[in-house]
Amino acid sequence: MKRTVHVVAIAAALCAQSAHADPDDYVATPAVEYGEREIELRFGTASKSGAERLSAASLAFGYGVTPWWATEVYGKFNRAGGAATHFDAVEWENKFQLTEPGQYFVDLGLLVELEYPQDRAEGYELRLGPLLQKDFGRVQVNTNFLLERHYRATEPEVTELGYQWQVKYRWREDFEFGAQGFGDMGQWDRWDAAHDQKHTLGPAIFGKINLGGRQALRYDAAYLFKASSAAPDRTLRMQLEYEF
Amino acid sequence: MRIAVPALGLLLFVTAAVAAEVPEFPLTIRDHRFTPAEIRVPANVKVRLVVDNQDAAPEEFDSHALNREKVIPGKSKATIFIGPLAPGRYPFIGEFNAATAQGVVIAQ
Repeated sequence: MKRTVHVVAIAAALCAQSAHADPDDYVATPAVEYGEREIELRFGTASKSGAERLSAASLAFGYGVTPWWATEVYGKFNRAGGAATHFDAVEWENKFQLTEPGQYFVDLGLLVELEYPQDRAEGYELRLGPLLQKDFGRVQVNTNFLLERHYRATEPEVTELGYQWQVKYRWREDFEFGAQGFGDMGQWDRWDAAHDQKHTLGPAIFGKINLGGRQALRYDAAYLFKASSAAPDRTLRMQLEYEF
Repeated sequence: MRIAVPALGLLLFVTAAVAAEVPEFPLTIRDHRFTPAEIRVPANVKVRLVVDNQDAAPEEFDSHALNREKVIPGKSKATIFIGPLAPGRYPFIGEFNAATAQGVVIAQ
């Protein structure tokens, strides 16, 4: 019985996690690099007092298919509390660059993600929305609004609204710094009460290390604090890309 | 909807008109080098670089100072919008041939 309660608690935690941003989520940017291949590793871990620690990791391969379309396939893993790490989902991410960087007042892209969770009770997950970027000299600002919906899931199908943002000072190519934030508002047309919404924000670092020729390492990490009572107290998220 | 269509049309007209006024500066890639290696552009004005890659191999225009990275396939042209820039020097490289493909935008 005790074991059953534990399993149910873990399952509930994982379902709750999958319905919202994973701890290893990142801030997508609208630009596409044509012909670039990348291997990407992401990791995130979130803790909240009175709840189990949730951790997630992803391994991906991406390719800039055209000057305006990049695609990436992820294998996603997660872990709740002391349970074993398990395979969570396959995700297919597509990014479309809709404007040339700097051409208009803001740069615009579109993100379309389709996820096939291992737990078939979650059905399929579709996430899409606009990616916005604006440069102010050496300061770069990104804001994304993403709609997320599960199809063929056992839970009622609702469309939820999330957001991501970052501000970074492009100090040096190998070291930039700033802040990031992530949030879930609830149903897109009927937001949750403020205490049920999840908002996190905190300092972030970024950089690119050229390895010669087409090869480069790009990193991005943030330590996020809760900005609402429903959010995790602390989240550490990291992303490392090998471009070639 | 009746408002949205004319508003979208006006927005497209205005953005097209603004885009048409952006000064253009040619830049050539040949033998993995940029010509001219120095481009002087007006400060505080958005400009566009029209990069003509005459090499057979692709090249990536890369500039951290300008916050631009763009791959230009061999034997093709690409447009890169930059600015408005404060007066100063903004170096750029061809990332695939960084030893030879180097240049600088000088905003003045």
